[in-house]
Amino acid sequence: MIEGAAKGFLGTSAGFGADLNLTIQLIMGVALIGGTFLARAKRYAAHGVCMTTVLVLNLAPIAVVMLPSFGQLVLPRLASHLHKRYYAVAAVHGVLGSAAELLGLYVLMVAGTNMLPEAWRFKRWKPWMRLEFALWMAVLLSGIGTYIVWYTPLWRR
Amino acid sequence: MKRYIRNVVVCAGLLGVVASAAMIHGSQIARAAEEKNAAASITIDNFSFTPKEVTVAVGTTITWVNHDDVPHTVVSPDKKFRSKALDTDDQFSFTFTDAGTYNYFCSVHPIMTGKIIVK
Repeated sequence: MIEGAAKGFLGTSAGFGADLNLTIQLIMGVALIGGTFLARAKRYAAHGVCMTTVLVLNLAPIAVVMLPSFGQLVLPRLASHLHKRYYAVAAVHGVLGSAAELLGLYVLMVAGTNMLPEAWRFKRWKPWMRLEFALWMAVLLSGIGTYIVWYTPLWRR
Repeated sequence: MKRYIRNVVVCAGLLGVVASAAMIHGSQIARAAEEKNAAASITIDNFSFTPKEVTVAVGTTITWVNHDDVPHTVVSPDKKFRSKALDTDDQFSFTFTDAGTYNYFCSVHPIMTGKIIVK
């Protein structure tokens, strides 16, 4: 849960869960950027392991931190409060994040398994992977934005 | 005639005593009711509770009002009270029926803490 009594370690008003989540997401972002360099160096096996690890590991913070927080603090008032920065930034992050995670899982299933029928499999890899990478970076930026709006009062004034 | 005057004086005295007793009793009831319905308010603004520490009498109802533009909560670590997420201008009230010291915090922003002392 993002809620709790434990204080965070990044010097903002966020709790430990939120700070840990942001730190993990930044490390994952760096790992993804590293993964693109592996692909450019034609080290495709290492690239696949790197991207898959990040994609699968990210399911944990989504399930443990982000979804419960979104469900408790944003979803109940989203429809009537979407004009407010607090809800809008979280909604944008939620939509982009869901799209990035689902697209990533799709790319992983096409690239790493034979689970999908031929008709559902793409042939051109680069556009899909570049789209996924761009989406993930947008998610990372919107996540940082969400953290700032939610937990840093000095930056809001 | 003398006897009559004495009776009047005695009756007046008794009436005075009864009236005084009634007034004292009434004021005690009023004070008790006042204490019972005592109220205090704590504002939430710029990620802090103001005042941070409050001392109140037993039976006081404290109301927290969120003036921030982000949601906050009011949570007792020992689960004596817990608000839902309070959006801008939302309120949460709790009546303190037992003496003691009650710490609380915002579960979204644990850096925000406060204390209620009930005497």
